[in-house]
Amino acid sequence: MTLAFVGGSHHTVPMALRERLAFSADQAAEALRRFRERFPGREAVLLSTCNRVEFYAAGEHDAVPPATGQIVDFLAECRGIDAAILKPVLAGESDDAVARHLFSVASGLDSMVLGEPQIVAQVKQAWSLAQENNTAGPLTSEMFQAALRTAKRVTSETAIGRERLSIPSIAVADFARGVFERFDDKRVLLIGAGKMAGETLRYLREAGARDVVIVNRSAARAEDLAGRLGVRAARFSDLADELTRADLVVSTTGATEPVVTPELYCGIESRRGGRPLVVLDLAMPRDFDPRIGSRPGVWLYSIDDLGAACNANRKARQRELPAAVAIIEEETRRFMGDLHHRSSAPVIEQLRAGWTETGDVELERLFRRLPTLDDAARREIRQAFERYAAKLIHRPLASLRSESHSGPPHGLLDALRRLFDLKD
Amino acid sequence: MAEFVSRISVVCFAASYLVALLCEISRLLFRSGIRGAVMIGFAAAGLIAHTLFLVWRAANEPAVPLSSAYDWYLLAAWLLAGGSLWLTVANPRTPIGLFMLPMVLGLIGAAQVSSRSPFPQSPATQVWGAIHGSFNLAASVAVAFGAIAGMMWLIQAGRLARKQAPIQGFRMPSLEKLARFTGRSLDIAAWAAAAGFVSGLVLNAVNRRQGLLETIPWTDPVVLRMGLVVAWLLAAAILVRTTARRAEGPRTAAMLSLVSLGVLTLSILWGLFGPTRHGVPPRAVVVESHS
Repeated sequence: MTLAFVGGSHHTVPMALRERLAFSADQAAEALRRFRERFPGREAVLLSTCNRVEFYAAGEHDAVPPATGQIVDFLAECRGIDAAILKPVLAGESDDAVARHLFSVASGLDSMVLGEPQIVAQVKQAWSLAQENNTAGPLTSEMFQAALRTAKRVTSETAIGRERLSIPSIAVADFARGVFERFDDKRVLLIGAGKMAGETLRYLREAGARDVVIVNRSAARAEDLAGRLGVRAARFSDLADELTRADLVVSTTGATEPVVTPELYCGIESRRGGRPLVVLDLAMPRDFDPRIGSRPGVWLYSIDDLGAACNANRKARQRELPAAVAIIEEETRRFMGDLHHRSSAPVIEQLRAGWTETGDVELERLFRRLPTLDDAARREIRQAFERYAAKLIHRPLASLRSESHSGPPHGLLDALRRLFDLKD
Repeated sequence: MAEFVSRISVVCFAASYLVALLCEISRLLFRSGIRGAVMIGFAAAGLIAHTLFLVWRAANEPAVPLSSAYDWYLLAAWLLAGGSLWLTVANPRTPIGLFMLPMVLGLIGAAQVSSRSPFPQSPATQVWGAIHGSFNLAASVAVAFGAIAGMMWLIQAGRLARKQAPIQGFRMPSLEKLARFTGRSLDIAAWAAAAGFVSGLVLNAVNRRQGLLETIPWTDPVVLRMGLVVAWLLAAAILVRTTARRAEGPRTAAMLSLVSLGVLTLSILWGLFGPTRHGVPPRAVVVESHS
């Protein structure tokens, strides 16, 4: 075993236990230092996010990584949790399964929201932390670099992380932006203070919205919210005037009847001067009578409309899953092939050194017998010997590399050792 | 180098534009990481070949841009191809070429069936001829740009009305931007077409004063159709302005821009296949002076 993994995520570990198991950056650094002291010569990376805690270990030859049970005990000790509680919920993997899992995690395929992009940065941070604490080595570095490359390929070659999945982000990016080119010259009106108002406003501000007004039935609550969100408050009795001036409305009241009726809208329509009006009606029941959506220049989206777009995007991500899995499989095979090939390096080195040494002895003998050779001729002959040796070693190397794709090439390595009398 | 440039034919750049168009169409079918670069590469190669072709004609044949119907169409296609490439580079996620490249290919096709005989020129009429051709060219290109923006507006508005998320690789600009572009294009088209028509009248008057024409050919089909096109574009521009402050304004502008393209296309077809004396040397003296 060269690679080992122990970890749990939202799939297997209950939230309460995840919270206890989670490592802060300082705690993770301390755990890595402790690991280095307890398991010298081994490599380790600790990935801890709100949805997962995963420990990756690696080692070779006489410093193989600790067994799953040892890592679970180590994690339990670090977080002060009874190991018996962790054992049933933490999974352990080894070798190619470790690489495959890390590549899936880095690509967002194991995330709660399929294809979410933040995990790449978290994987990068975990690897950096291991480097800072000297627990990252050639094996983990190679594996994490391959994971980041895989994540990049999944992002660029599939659309798995491209479609938005939250209602406020879809409302702003796919619909409001479809109508308006810019938001810094638009008036945004917030009606009510439902939980999605703040998040929608965040997306609108990112898009450039500056002029924001909030109206609420309770003037005090409107003032309070305006203060917290950093916007202007207006009286609810001025709703018609505010609607006249607004370009985009986000409505999230808890009213049981429509707040804006067709009569109210038709009363202000002529005063709007033909400007388009985008309404994001995120309330349930709806704040805007759906008949208003058929008025010219009005783009009315209810939470159901936006939810349908959300589901369509979710399905689109699911459709991309097979392509992403194929990339991960390809990268896992490639990485494991390279890893297995590493084990043949000492044998290749010995083989090459032996041939070089024999070549040098023969060359010296030849040059002694032909003392009239000038430097240029000697150089040519030496280069011919080197080329000959390189060509001879090329075929065994190609066979070893090809064999490495299906596992460590023990058979071939053993044959080479015996044929050329190489030492272990 | 000169030999290489002399071997560039219409087929070279038309084929490049066609490949770029096929790349655009493939956006709707599958995803690809290198398609954008391939598409821009072919469009740019086509534009370079197109430019070299026009420069070669201007330098080696009595065919400066606008000097014949053939060169006029090729120059219009060149302007649209350049605009298409520029907009594609500036908006890589918008399938601009899907709308513009068919027009480019259509104009190249029109060039192939149009007359290559140079328009009659004399030193006195050369300036007015160039002004007349340039304004007509500007009007035609503006109509094409306006119609593309109008078509995109209708597609985007249809998507927003159906409450659908944008299709991958088929992201349109905002309605606000498209409406502004459509309105401005129609304005430019109307004023350029009017200026082109007036400069055409001046050109005829100069010809008559010099004794090259007996009468101004008011009833020539080309003069009539150009008059109709100008009247339509002016009416459309005025209508767009009057509805600008109404909620239906952008949709009206989009529809009018498409109808304007239809009117212009009919006018071009009429010019290609209908009877006309437009561009025919009025008297032998002009032919002699030109040759």
